[in-house]
Amino acid sequence: MKIIVGQGSCGIAAGAGKIKAVLEQSVEGKYPIGITGCIGMCWLEPIVDVYDDNNNLHRYVKVSEDIAKAIAEAVLSSDFAKACEYEISDEDKLFLEKQTRIALRNCGIINPENIDEYVSVGGYSALKKVLSSMTQDDVINEIKASGLAGRGGAGFPTWFKWNAAKQSKGEEKYLICNADEGDPGAFMDRAVIESDPHSLIEGMLIGAYAIGAKEAVVYVRAEYPLAIIRLQNAIEQARNAGFVGENILGSGFTCDFRIKAGAGAFVCGEETALIESLEGSRGMPRLKPPFPAQEGYWHKPSNINNVETFANVAWIISNGGEAFSDMGTEDSKGTKVFALTGKVKRGGLVEIPMGKTLREVIFDIGGGIKEDKQFKAVQMGGPSGGCIPESLLDTVIDYKKLSATGAIMGSGGMVVMDESTCMVGMAKFFLDFTAKESCGKCVHCRIGTKRMQEILTRIVNGEGKDGDIELLEELCEAIKDGALCGLGQTAPNPVLTTIKYFRNEYEAHINNKKCPAKECTQLLTYEIDKDKCIGCTMCAKKCPVSAISGELKSAHSIDTAVCIKCGQCIANCKFGAISKN
Amino acid sequence: MCKCNCSDSNIDLNLLKPVLDKYSNVKGSLITILQNAQEIYGYLPTEVIYEVASATGNTPAKVMGVATFYTQFRFKPVGKYLIMLCQGTACHVNGSEMIAQTINEELGISDGETTDDGLFTLSCVACLGCCSLSPVMMINDETYGSLTPKKVREIIAELKSRS
Amino acid sequence: MEQIKITINGKECLCTENDYILKVAKDNGIEIPNLCDHESVAAFGACGVCAVEIIDDGNGKAIPKLMRACATKARNGYVVSIDSQRVLRSRKVALELLMSDHEGDCLGPCKLNCPAGTDVQKYLKQISNADYKGAVETIKQVIPIPASIGRICPHPCEQNCRRRFVDEPLSIAFLKSYAADKDLNGDTYIPQVKPDTGKNIAVIGGGPAGLTSAYYLRLMGHSVTVYDSMKKMGGMLRYGIPAYRLPKSILDKEISLIESLGVKLVNDVSVGKDITLEQLKADNDAVIVAVGAWKSMQMRVEGEGLEGVIGGIDFLRDISSGEAETPNLKGKKVAVCGGGNTAMDACRTAIRCGADEVYVIYRRTRSEMPAEDIEIEEAIEEGVDFKFLTNPSEIIGENGKVTQIKLQIMELGEPDASGRRSPVPVEGKFEYLPVDMVIMAIGQTINASGLDIIEKTKKGTISADLSTFRTSDEKIFAVGDATNKGASIAIEAIGEARKCADVVDSFLNGNIVGYRKPFVSRRKDEDVDFTSYEKKQRIAMPSRPADERKQDFNEVNLGFGDENKVISEAKRCLECGCHDYGDCKLIKYADGVGIENIRFTGKKNVAPVERKLVAIERNPSKCILCGLCVRICDDVAGKGILGFVGRGFSTVIKPEFDNPDTVSGCAGCRKCLDACPTGALKLIEY
Repeated sequence: MKIIVGQGSCGIAAGAGKIKAVLEQSVEGKYPIGITGCIGMCWLEPIVDVYDDNNNLHRYVKVSEDIAKAIAEAVLSSDFAKACEYEISDEDKLFLEKQTRIALRNCGIINPENIDEYVSVGGYSALKKVLSSMTQDDVINEIKASGLAGRGGAGFPTWFKWNAAKQSKGEEKYLICNADEGDPGAFMDRAVIESDPHSLIEGMLIGAYAIGAKEAVVYVRAEYPLAIIRLQNAIEQARNAGFVGENILGSGFTCDFRIKAGAGAFVCGEETALIESLEGSRGMPRLKPPFPAQEGYWHKPSNINNVETFANVAWIISNGGEAFSDMGTEDSKGTKVFALTGKVKRGGLVEIPMGKTLREVIFDIGGGIKEDKQFKAVQMGGPSGGCIPESLLDTVIDYKKLSATGAIMGSGGMVVMDESTCMVGMAKFFLDFTAKESCGKCVHCRIGTKRMQEILTRIVNGEGKDGDIELLEELCEAIKDGALCGLGQTAPNPVLTTIKYFRNEYEAHINNKKCPAKECTQLLTYEIDKDKCIGCTMCAKKCPVSAISGELKSAHSIDTAVCIKCGQCIANCKFGAISKN
Repeated sequence: MCKCNCSDSNIDLNLLKPVLDKYSNVKGSLITILQNAQEIYGYLPTEVIYEVASATGNTPAKVMGVATFYTQFRFKPVGKYLIMLCQGTACHVNGSEMIAQTINEELGISDGETTDDGLFTLSCVACLGCCSLSPVMMINDETYGSLTPKKVREIIAELKSRS
Repeated sequence: MEQIKITINGKECLCTENDYILKVAKDNGIEIPNLCDHESVAAFGACGVCAVEIIDDGNGKAIPKLMRACATKARNGYVVSIDSQRVLRSRKVALELLMSDHEGDCLGPCKLNCPAGTDVQKYLKQISNADYKGAVETIKQVIPIPASIGRICPHPCEQNCRRRFVDEPLSIAFLKSYAADKDLNGDTYIPQVKPDTGKNIAVIGGGPAGLTSAYYLRLMGHSVTVYDSMKKMGGMLRYGIPAYRLPKSILDKEISLIESLGVKLVNDVSVGKDITLEQLKADNDAVIVAVGAWKSMQMRVEGEGLEGVIGGIDFLRDISSGEAETPNLKGKKVAVCGGGNTAMDACRTAIRCGADEVYVIYRRTRSEMPAEDIEIEEAIEEGVDFKFLTNPSEIIGENGKVTQIKLQIMELGEPDASGRRSPVPVEGKFEYLPVDMVIMAIGQTINASGLDIIEKTKKGTISADLSTFRTSDEKIFAVGDATNKGASIAIEAIGEARKCADVVDSFLNGNIVGYRKPFVSRRKDEDVDFTSYEKKQRIAMPSRPADERKQDFNEVNLGFGDENKVISEAKRCLECGCHDYGDCKLIKYADGVGIENIRFTGKKNVAPVERKLVAIERNPSKCILCGLCVRICDDVAGKGILGFVGRGFSTVIKPEFDNPDTVSGCAGCRKCLDACPTGALKLIEY
């Protein structure tokens, strides 16, 4: 009998800590309560897995304290029928069944705080294989055969970077992991570090061996405190086990590990900015060339990959590059992890082979749109990506095919939007983000994104002018061409794709001063349906500006000149009598 | 010697000594030092910045440049409860703006502001990575998900009653 | 290191693989615009202005991205374009974005609003240093007759002077004539004339426009002859403006200075009568028509043909010049119709001719009068009776001579498109005024006889291109009152003539370049903080008492006299224009890339001027964050006092903190100042 509580950040946020305590108390110490990381079924958190004596898995979802007690009772009595109503539904099981997990292979299964569990599922065997039987070039060739490309967004072939760094002259080289997962709406890397830190460490050790680095650094964003703790703990365990440090496994290969916590700057996801930050400076991107493989951290040859890229490495070494490249499409190999969120029924972590369609991910795995509303678009690639409309839902997940839509593969954020999401507002949201996160170094990004944000703001406020769309387009082209780093060069994408696919929404805002999604507050008018209103006075009481008047038990009305469109009335009307248009 | 117009003469720079001893000779440690200093003081007082500058051999301009680049660093004391409201895409799509509005209504503070009683500070932060529970906020180290205005009011009331 | 070859804009350049494209270009005399590069520090790549297109990477392939020339090393066989359409578009957007966040005045409103573009701020500074010759040299870059113009100019510079928001505008025009008088009476500034070019130019008309174009073309080395139909040169300055405003001896002196440079002045020659335009065209390489507008406009009321009805210009012509005996109007009643400066000149001249009663008939009220306020004021002092809100509806006479004028009573109606309330007749309400003389001063138009071969506008003025001043005949140019919109103020004609001189010079050199108004950065008046200025009253121009001055035609104004007062007046200048305008790379490139207006306007990152560095004033609102000061202070001066603060759009450069004092580490080396590409850093003058 094994009881495991999912303890990723979202699980904890959903109350998993309390559930664990309740379980511990309820089973009266008869069974230890284990933990695991994030299984990726975030909408079902907190999740409790119970393996019965026959090693059958009973997975309980959305566990409340009461359910936890019921589970404990079932466990104590070995009568699992007692709690079967709390087990995951067959439909929800599809979410996992339709996935192929490599980077996430151990997530939500093993205890991330215990190296033995990682070793017991074959962990560190790839490292042993590398150190005992492979040359640096062998490793690079195996990665080349796998077709693995950088999962951080750009999709640059991993072997090529490794090779460049390996070939750069110099004794002092660095291997760096970019765990500054900053795209809003993406949490793949957090999940991997929190749930399977050793797979990252092992992948990095193999990479360090391949390029000849003696030091590995993980740059983790400060917003991920749990990830930092678990990774720190994992590094210590690995060190104690002889996987990290001097003369690893007696091979003569030495590699030390360090964690650097970021301090809150999205631009540090850009590799040269990340290096600046690692060196203790302002995270302003450097000019390229020289590339980090030539002159990186402390101006020494350095290689930087993101978490998911490294998480694939040990699997590739163990299973062979071909096993990886067998999956996917002509130019995109292996699997990709996505963080599926937004207005989708089943939101969480999805790992699928390249080549599946967006529709399969959103509808087959994600279960479609919440409340069965109309799908409108999916945003991929965060602030550097774009919005893909329904007409392109059958686009295959592949670097080139996605780029052709104007969006990008990105690091894996996949935010689903329904009919109630304003696409101009969406573009503004991303420009708010990039303008805020621009490092301020180059003119195009510093001032250009600000100007774009200002234009978008006036459009959503109903102050858009004729010619604003064209002005935006011109700025977009200039910024793409002129910005110094990837953050700036891709900042126009959310605007360009929304103009491309949802131009009518822009026009409605500018020409008719209307928001088709009814989201832009400034463009809405609130109205009370006289037939539905019973005169309960609740809305009038809640209205912060006293814009609503009417006698008790007779229909009320809203003075639109006074109304500040806060939505309090709608939220408090029990009769659905208030509408916004 | 401190050359600035000290805003707060109660800053005990001795607390910083262990941090400086540990890191001031390790190159590239400026951000780490500042993070540790903020742990100690809750924010980065001007005196601390000068002290860090002189201990690390940087000019105050450089230290200030680094500190102001990163959103994590604060230059004013924060409230007892630091509300970090997630500004991620999923949270945006699921109504984080309404949550900000509710906090504003309840506490009268906007992004970066602290209540007069020094209890709450609101800070709108980059994606916290809890997208499936959006909208999300973190108060001190605890994460609260699937927020609604009602839930936010309850949480705030609960924290108020604790103090 | 091995020599390699790259091609920049068609020019082959030898260099090595260690050289950046920007430097290779510079070494080969090709300027690639850039703002954040400096030889003493490493490439930074912030401004993006130096982006170029590599259309061949040496292997026959183009590099798809635009590359920053400052940070891209040369590779053998590179073919670089620094002005392809794509490059220019990118550069333009970069500069337009920079300008959209650049808060400052390149030039003061005085200079911007002067039709001739006189560098007012500069000459006021020179006057404040008692450098009158220097001041006159400055003025004479655009105005060849400053002593005359200073006396009579309606000075749009003063109307727009920002000092008016503190207390009162500076007395710019009179300061100009003060300096010019000093210059005329002492060590006179004599400009250099360039060697003879052998080109001949005929200028028709010796008024302000004609004299101005002649002066500048002569300085450029051309042979210039001015033809004028009157007895003497000066045009309206001599024949339209009364001597009590502009003594003719002053005008004479200024004209003789022009003549002394070698300009040939030929009087008493009428084109069309004594010589034809065709002939002048045939005999010269270019002809400039500057004949002015000498015909008084008709009022189109009954009785205009009566004896005693006369045009304003016709009335003033002989009296102003002093060439004929002053008529004696003793015992006469005179009505002057119109509200402009000519009307004021006419009414005050009539007073000086001894008229018993002089009326000004004007259909609006005093506040709408286009005449200068001081003129109105002085006319009232001299006894002129203003009949506001009246309009001549008929001139009545007996035996062919004027006896009275019938006036329609008016009232002000709704404001028109220009915001001025337009007068409307009060139906059936009239007034009869007994008069002996009616002077029509409602406007002037051109007498186009002899100018048949060039095209006219619908108004009958000469049609001239607004940028090249060229008429329908490619060798004939036209400027001043005779062209396009018609009569205006003298300085307007001078401004056109000055620009025309450059255009004609370029035409004579075989490549005509029209005038284009330079793009400049400007602040809105309302964005300027005036609270820190101490109030200091404007100097008053002393004048003779009305009772005395109305007896003669001697100059009304007595001149400033006290030099200390003049200097302290000049020191009232707020120095709105940027000290760095001439050297500013930002505006040079912004103007060069053809920005006309900033389309991407929005919030600007502004902050007050601050003095924390030794002897250097920092204006963060003008800073473009090129980071040169930061990098140079760090890497060259070894001080590291300056740093970037904040992130994104709100990033600023600051010395250390918000420490109010001078930063202690600054050694005052001024290396930052030297490197700043804009006017964000300025040497403090003590």
